[in-house]
Amino acid sequence: MLLCTSLIGGDIKVDVEKTIRNQFGNDAIFSFQKLNLSSSVRTSIEKKVRQRFFKDFIYVWSIMDGDSVQAYALLDNVKGLSMPITFLVIYDIEGTIISSHVIKYREPYGGEIASPKWTAQFNGRNNDSDYNVGGQIDGISGATISVYSMSAGIMKLSLLFPKIKSLL
Amino acid sequence: MINKIAWGIIMVFIINNLVFSQDEFFEPSYTIGGYGELHYNSSKIGDAKPSKKMDFHRFIIYYGYNWTEKWSFKSEVELEHNYVKDGNGELELEQAFINYHTDKIGFQAGVILPSVGLINDFHEPPLFLSVERPEYSKYIIPTTWFGNGVAIYGQNKGLSWKAVVHEGLNGDGIESNYREGIRGGRQKGYKANAQELLYNGRIAYTGIPGLRMGGSYSTTKALRSEEGAKPIGVSLIEAHAKYDANRIMLVAEWGNINYTDHSAKSSTGYYVDLGYDIGQMINLSGKLYPWIRLTDINPSVGHDYENEKHYNKTMIGLTYKPINQIAFKLDYSTKKFLDKSVGEVTLINLGVGYNF
Repeated sequence: MLLCTSLIGGDIKVDVEKTIRNQFGNDAIFSFQKLNLSSSVRTSIEKKVRQRFFKDFIYVWSIMDGDSVQAYALLDNVKGLSMPITFLVIYDIEGTIISSHVIKYREPYGGEIASPKWTAQFNGRNNDSDYNVGGQIDGISGATISVYSMSAGIMKLSLLFPKIKSLL
Repeated sequence: MINKIAWGIIMVFIINNLVFSQDEFFEPSYTIGGYGELHYNSSKIGDAKPSKKMDFHRFIIYYGYNWTEKWSFKSEVELEHNYVKDGNGELELEQAFINYHTDKIGFQAGVILPSVGLINDFHEPPLFLSVERPEYSKYIIPTTWFGNGVAIYGQNKGLSWKAVVHEGLNGDGIESNYREGIRGGRQKGYKANAQELLYNGRIAYTGIPGLRMGGSYSTTKALRSEEGAKPIGVSLIEAHAKYDANRIMLVAEWGNINYTDHSAKSSTGYYVDLGYDIGQMINLSGKLYPWIRLTDINPSVGHDYENEKHYNKTMIGLTYKPINQIAFKLDYSTKKFLDKSVGEVTLINLGVGYNF
């Protein structure tokens, strides 16, 4: 457990778990793991989304409801203009997005993508949904690169979810 | 035994804190980006023969380095008109600053941009519909307006703000280029006279997806070289809004510059864009915007030659974005001056722009 917890930045882990508690209550019980992604899984998704995975792993929290899992929270990064954007997508067990959150934004411009009104656009989407900015997803004036990058990043996780669900 | 357990607990605590203090997602790194635009312009005054030109108007390279999550360097070098010799073309360091960033507040020092209007901050060609930047962003807001200075900025719950202390303006340049508002007064960071500084503040709301609305105020005293000449007082206030969602592109900007001790009392102008993406309707891959722009620019209110320079312009156009970072553009416009003795100008522009 120490090995797992020590692989992720403290502030980020604290912020993720605070976000999960905000969503599921202060008594929420969860466990987390670092999940390595095989090259074949990554490549097939990257070709479809036209965006590379930030690393060859992601972090996953399993949120419990009694003895069974009620949701999964996937933490990943995308490249913004010059810095990584760290974001969390919470899925129900079918792979439908419950909510999305920007955990850490590091740029002087474009921080508006952390707005709950913007991230709420992804709620209810899954691996079959349209994530096209300007189509189903509205952009943010002044945050173009971040918006495209983040939308593609969430799409990547939605496509990934069915492929990793059996491992969680 | 108790000592061993205590040491164990302490070591776990230290290891956790040591590793947790690192952010594995951030790595010191270089960043490169850029944008550019090629234009074809045809311009005809009255019944005269049109003048035609092709120009690679702007070629820009961004370069940055991130030391830590909080400390970074960002720069933008621009080559205008593809060539620099004997006063033709321009090579400019438009941005070069140290940036300190936290979640709530940030700081910049170096060559920076005053935060004025939509296009001075965000001027990549795919972001505006026309081939050339709106003329409002030339005669009212002198984009790209850059120079030496410092800034603080912040953001909270859909509201962002920026306060800038910046090199001032050159009064001689404003007076001799009265038809272009304050454009001729920019010092562009070149050994800028810092006896009088520019103070600029901007606030913007972006809490609704696709919407940005805000305004700014800037003020300075533009010094003049003539002995005994009073500096030109400059106060620029502007408001801007952009809605880019649900296939609608709606843009509106208005600005007014008040002067003291200048041959013009003020410069004022606005423009409104309305476009609609019909790409999906005609099964086209990408976005296709037919659009219209209405512009009114009066750069020299109260000047003897005011009506020779005051004009309104109607522009229609078509902008195609196969992907969001590339735009092909076509526009047609007529420019009518209040002084009817000044011939009507007809313009046809074609262009392609990109950013990465």
